[in-house]
Amino acid sequence: MSNKNILGDPSSIAPDYLNDGWLNELGRTRGAGPFLANHPAPGRGMSTTCVHAGTHDDPRTGAVGTPIYQASTFVLNDNQYQSVEDGFARDRFIYSRYGNPSQWAVQEKLAALEGAESAIVFSSGMAAITSTVMALVDKGAHVVASSDLYGGTFNLFNQEFPTFGMSCTMVDSYDFDAIEAAIQPNTQLMYFEAITNPLLKVIDIPRLVEIAKRRNVRLVVDATFAPPVAMRTLEHGVDVVVHSASKYLNGHSDLIAGVAAGPRKLIDMIWPRLLNYGGSLDPHACFLLERGLKTLDVRMRAHEESATALAKFLETHPRVKKVFYPFLESHPDYDTAKRLLKNGMGNITFVIEGGDKAALRLVDALRIPKQATSLGGVESLISLPFNTSQATFTTRQRADIGIDPGCVRLSVGIEDADDLIADFDRAFATIYSSKEPAHA
Amino acid sequence: MRNNIPVAALSEFVNEVADVPEEALMDYGLEIKWESGTRSRSETKPMKVGPHQISRSFTWKSDEPRQLMGNNHGPNPQELLLSGLGSCMMVSFVAGATAAGIQLETVRIDFDATLDLRGFMGLGTNSTVGFPEVKYRIYVTGDGTEEQFAELHRKSVSHSPNAQTIMNPVQMTGEIISTQIES
Repeated sequence: MSNKNILGDPSSIAPDYLNDGWLNELGRTRGAGPFLANHPAPGRGMSTTCVHAGTHDDPRTGAVGTPIYQASTFVLNDNQYQSVEDGFARDRFIYSRYGNPSQWAVQEKLAALEGAESAIVFSSGMAAITSTVMALVDKGAHVVASSDLYGGTFNLFNQEFPTFGMSCTMVDSYDFDAIEAAIQPNTQLMYFEAITNPLLKVIDIPRLVEIAKRRNVRLVVDATFAPPVAMRTLEHGVDVVVHSASKYLNGHSDLIAGVAAGPRKLIDMIWPRLLNYGGSLDPHACFLLERGLKTLDVRMRAHEESATALAKFLETHPRVKKVFYPFLESHPDYDTAKRLLKNGMGNITFVIEGGDKAALRLVDALRIPKQATSLGGVESLISLPFNTSQATFTTRQRADIGIDPGCVRLSVGIEDADDLIADFDRAFATIYSSKEPAHA
Repeated sequence: MRNNIPVAALSEFVNEVADVPEEALMDYGLEIKWESGTRSRSETKPMKVGPHQISRSFTWKSDEPRQLMGNNHGPNPQELLLSGLGSCMMVSFVAGATAAGIQLETVRIDFDATLDLRGFMGLGTNSTVGFPEVKYRIYVTGDGTEEQFAELHRKSVSHSPNAQTIMNPVQMTGEIISTQIES
């Protein structure tokens, strides 16, 4: 049994074979997608895009919202066989590791939000990062990356790259001269994070773009901390933007996913790595991610509102030594943040009196923030770099990268600012009123 | 994928280049170091594909047979020349077959060429230094007709960069940078 219809992107048609002539007469051109249907953008606003882009009501029943296509495989017809033979299988439904309507729907939404021609969702942020990096490097390649990368990405460059005969130079992302000096004739890629963790440095992406273009190198940016409501990274000239979608994009701390978005040409190069490495996203997780994205804009505004109020409170608290929040004037990158970010995020990093022991007591004393790693959820999450993200470092190593004893990593959720401030005020009062010494 | 070439992507690239000619510019480089006697080591330099540099980490050696004062440690420069010529013709042939929808089963190109070394030695007055003629035969099996393969042969040679480099005069621009070492 087969279905004679085009099962996939109807705008993608098979290339015509040459009867006469040479390659210059090949007609198929590259287009955005793959998309389920060619429908106009529902509106220009970010929230309208969040709600409507990519979402497809069920054509058979009229059910509102994209159905969950919980299928591993699809009924094949001649057109799908031809798509495999002629190399446009990404535009047809064949097998869910290759593509699935639930993936396509959320990919279209993400592409619309990032202003990208194409996007691919992955089963984790690291699957997105690994597939993207490996698509853009060749035998003997060299990468220039930030010296304060997320640990998982650091491990890719530090543990996996040498095995493949490739290398990476890690450079301070503030030091543009050092970044440029690190570029070698075999450098194919610059890899940076839009906002770093945990010190929330806001990287001057336009300057990185200028270097990458002048030196003929691709630039990939992990914008997990700066989702499209805050910054549309590709608009600055970045080649591919990647995210851990488990964070702000999904926003509910209930799935693991990743995404890569950019021009169709490059995303088509990443797609075979999705097939080879196997990091495809399950249809049910796609549904959750698509639903989560519908509120991205309103969530980001709520994150900013509560985080800004709490950051200002922390900055005035006598027991807090430092606060890092890019929209506070005291932040070293305040000007860059104002220039590049259209919206704030929920991440605040701060240092309290009493060192890591006091910080441990604080996270225990708080009632609202959950003591857990990750970020970007509707609920506030709190953790300490010394026993989580930078646990393998010595105190001195942590100090070298700016993490002082008593450093706390907070992801402010969308709870009311007054409740969060009251919770922190009470927790500080509790831990500093005890008989234990304030200075560890 | 037909012949393991994605014709959709090939077509998209051709049309991209028609709009953005810079994408068609390929910068190649090769460094050859003398090792010993007639043996040299070649190493590819990073290449530029359109506006982007890419890593090319490949090396190989060339040598002459013992009869020509070498140690026979690798293919000689003439064989490498024919290899570069033939593999370029192969790319052109296979790409052209794929674009025409022809499924190939096997393709083999046989090369034969005779060099008269009197030119190299400066002995002959009438012999050319280089190859006066390069003979090849393409053996192909696939679902194309005899006429289609004949047409493909003609077109693939006329669009093969290396075949056209050999068949047409090429300007070679060189210089030498020398350092005299006191012995």
